[in-house]
Amino acid sequence: MSPSMIETLFSGLIHGGVYALVAVGMSLVFGVTNVANFAQGSLVAVGMMTAWWVGSSLGWGLIPTLLAVILVTGLVGLVMSLLVITPLEGRQPIAALLGTVGVGQVLDNGMQLIFGSQTRPFPELLPTHNLHALGIRFGTSDLVMSLVALVSMAVLWGFLTYGKDGQAIRATSQDSQAAKQMGVPVTSIRTLAFVIGSVLAGIAGIFIGLFKTNINPMDGGAIGMTAFVAAAIGGLGSIPGAIVGGLVLGLAEAVGVGFFGDGVHDLITFGTLLLVLILRPSGFMGSKANLHNEPMAGTFLEAARPIRLPHWANPGLAAAALATPFFFSDHLSGIGTQVTIYAIAAVGLTLISGSAGQTILGLAGPVAVGAYASALLTMRLHWPFAVSLLGAAIIAALAASLLTFPVWKLSGHYVAIATIGVGAVMVAIIRIWEPLTRGSLGLQGIPLPTFLGRPLYTQQMQYLLDLVILLLALLVVSSIQSSHLGHVFESIGEDTQAAQSLGIRTGAYKALAYALASGLAGIAGALLAHQYTYIDPTLFNPVMSSLILTIVVLGGMKSPTGAVIGSLILVGAPELLRILPEVRIMAYGLLLVIFIIWRPQGIFSTRRRAS
Amino acid sequence: MVRGTGQERLHRSIITATASITAAMTMTGALSACGLGGDTDSSSGPEDHVTIAAIYPKTGLYAEYGKMFQQGFDLAKDEINEKGGIKGKQLNIAYYDTQSDAKQDAAVAPKIASDKSVIAVVGDYSSPASSAASPIFQQAGLVHYGFNNSSPVFTKSGDHVWTPQIGDNTYQEVNADAVSKRAKKVSVVYLENDWGRESYRYFRQEAERRGLQIAYQSSYLPDSTDLTPILIPAKDAAPDAVVDIGYGPDGALILNTLRDKLGYKGPFFGGQETKEFLALTGANSQDTIITGSFSATGTKDNKAQAFVKSFEKRYHTVPGNFEVTSYQAIMDLAHAGEKTSPTRQGIQEALKTADDFPLYQGNGGTFRFNTRTRRADEIKPILLQVDKGKFKQIEE
Repeated sequence: MSPSMIETLFSGLIHGGVYALVAVGMSLVFGVTNVANFAQGSLVAVGMMTAWWVGSSLGWGLIPTLLAVILVTGLVGLVMSLLVITPLEGRQPIAALLGTVGVGQVLDNGMQLIFGSQTRPFPELLPTHNLHALGIRFGTSDLVMSLVALVSMAVLWGFLTYGKDGQAIRATSQDSQAAKQMGVPVTSIRTLAFVIGSVLAGIAGIFIGLFKTNINPMDGGAIGMTAFVAAAIGGLGSIPGAIVGGLVLGLAEAVGVGFFGDGVHDLITFGTLLLVLILRPSGFMGSKANLHNEPMAGTFLEAARPIRLPHWANPGLAAAALATPFFFSDHLSGIGTQVTIYAIAAVGLTLISGSAGQTILGLAGPVAVGAYASALLTMRLHWPFAVSLLGAAIIAALAASLLTFPVWKLSGHYVAIATIGVGAVMVAIIRIWEPLTRGSLGLQGIPLPTFLGRPLYTQQMQYLLDLVILLLALLVVSSIQSSHLGHVFESIGEDTQAAQSLGIRTGAYKALAYALASGLAGIAGALLAHQYTYIDPTLFNPVMSSLILTIVVLGGMKSPTGAVIGSLILVGAPELLRILPEVRIMAYGLLLVIFIIWRPQGIFSTRRRAS
Repeated sequence: MVRGTGQERLHRSIITATASITAAMTMTGALSACGLGGDTDSSSGPEDHVTIAAIYPKTGLYAEYGKMFQQGFDLAKDEINEKGGIKGKQLNIAYYDTQSDAKQDAAVAPKIASDKSVIAVVGDYSSPASSAASPIFQQAGLVHYGFNNSSPVFTKSGDHVWTPQIGDNTYQEVNADAVSKRAKKVSVVYLENDWGRESYRYFRQEAERRGLQIAYQSSYLPDSTDLTPILIPAKDAAPDAVVDIGYGPDGALILNTLRDKLGYKGPFFGGQETKEFLALTGANSQDTIITGSFSATGTKDNKAQAFVKSFEKRYHTVPGNFEVTSYQAIMDLAHAGEKTSPTRQGIQEALKTADDFPLYQGNGGTFRFNTRTRRADEIKPILLQVDKGKFKQIEE
């Protein structure tokens, strides 16, 4: 092996160790509470910024810094657990997931307000580049980090195996009902696991700071996402799996990026995720037993059904909506276009995530494909707008079906995770396919939408177009829901195994529901492209995916009308919150958390009584 | 029969939909008097102030740049108003936080366009976000002055879209020239976005013309946290110098990785003319050469020196590239308003005709726009070298 290969592998291992540290906490929380904590990355950033503050401003050493970080992240974890996680216990895990998304936003933006927005050097609590061996430079920090990772894993293992509370944690994670009957205080045990997970995140923050050397209060998002991928590769819920997953991901990235350059970084990260899940459907060390409770699917539906309006209400509301462009100002119409376009994407998602009960986390992928398809069809082939729009829907549906094809044999939450990968891979391919898409340069000069050949050049005209398409989408989706096909979707969502035993090929139907949702997402993308007139791959980011999912969950998973209300709140609110510019995004996160605690079944759904 | 079959229900909902669309069409007819033509001009006579709208990232990932922009804007506005405003009208800046997110730019642009006191728009930070708003300003006959948008296609959205940003081609010509005078063989890494790709293309062209060999190249994603895997082969190619085409924080990551982890001691071209970059790299930045647009200590232009002085007095810190370009953006537009009239048409007219816009960047003096490309070809970049934690302007 050449020296530079050794160097590359070594750097991959160290980077993988960083992923592993964060993934361990994530996996622990997931295993015990069934909550995919999307604020884990933000908790890492809390630890990192606390360490930065006491380490540089106050000049504290490593040990006092460590204690301060444990205290702060433990407290934040405790508060988060008591205020957000516990109230949602026994409710739909996806509600808790979105609660953590909201908390993450509050934490990220709160830290930016407190500490300022600049990137800053992390204090050198341990020497980072003082050692040489085998032609490789490394630091005491790297050694200590590896040691901490191993020790914390060993301690955690010992605690879970021999400790009284640890055994209670494991019992809770295996069967919370049984644990409760055996006298385990399940709620406190969950809180304990959550606090331990938060403290692990904080400690990881110190080492990530040392590793990165330059840090920013907003670093949490990217760290959390990669750690989640690492935890999924290792097998969610498995602590040794999280370490293996982190190391595998670190090595794969180092070798792949070393060969092909960093431009394909996303493709390698998410491609590795997909590959591992296809070969080993529950990750490297995930237990098969975990797959039966589908924490991100199905559960939401048991307790909720959409609110039904009297039959005259729908046409009335539709007519009222269609009237709005005629007296809305430019500003309101401008917000209206964004609200309706996001609603179009979300309405489609009610079929797959609501009816068929399969959470989709990567819908930005089909949105991007639709946007590029329609833009290229009008610009290169000079197709009329209306035809390109249909073309965009078909191409997005096809591309999504093709890439997701191997995913449907997975079970439980791994499908949801795999869709993150599919979405990211779609956007990565668009970026790399430069001769067709102009890659990172983006497409500019996309023609405005037209109606009967005339360009729709005012906000009101575009808003009206978006509204008409939204109403058609609502019509199509609610017709499907009340058709035979819709009942099949629903039976899969309510009880996959029962559906299967009736001879329904659940995978194929989920694929069909996803294709339909992708088609609508493609139309939403096409509308965005023609109204912005410029697109590039950065527009279609994970934030877009989680926004669309949040809209559906907030509105009430099965309710297409709810999706419109969700979009009105989630896309409209940041605009209405402009009166508070400083804390606008923080208030938005807070609002999201409050809504989810208030109506975890979704705004436009009622809770169904247990029968 | 209690419940209809699926098919019957499908029919029923189609009927319902047809009915609702018909109802809507009727209402459409009734309401079409109000029309879809957009806000009508409701200007209520002369006012005592005019507004420049700023779309910028006050919060979010790019908030640090937003902060620097706002410092430049505010300083320029106060100086203009102290001198009596633009043709006697006080200047007001309306700030809109977009997080440099295209969705928010598109949503807020119509509000700006319909505010009749707005005579021009400055911002946003990134080109995709700016470009999502451009068509709306273009439609409203409102100048969109994307002072930070160097993307080569930015101004193509319409004849009201302008930028004084130094073009990527001009930048890279100077950059490649400086590199070729100090090296024969280089490794190049560049940012994987619209700007980085285009800049690298120009750099490669200019390098070829000058016989500069590119021994290794790779792009990198803006949010990558570890670039060791591409910097190992970059160093192994045994280059005379490493060139980075990127921004500040990523440039710092690359420089620190090269120096601390890989023990690379050769020359480095890249980084950003910000205090942040100096703070992040510390001693590693010694002798780094940056192709930039402004030197607070090196500028020989009188008005630029005065700007540095008042900036230091107000904010207790030295201005860099982002502060000076945002300051200049407001000064340019005020100058345009003085030349013709502080109105939308006036600004557009002056950008086409005036040939003496005040230039604070580069070597100072004045500049004019190329009316075909709506860019400022005449602004030339300068070379800066880091010495003991400070940027020094160097002459070739």
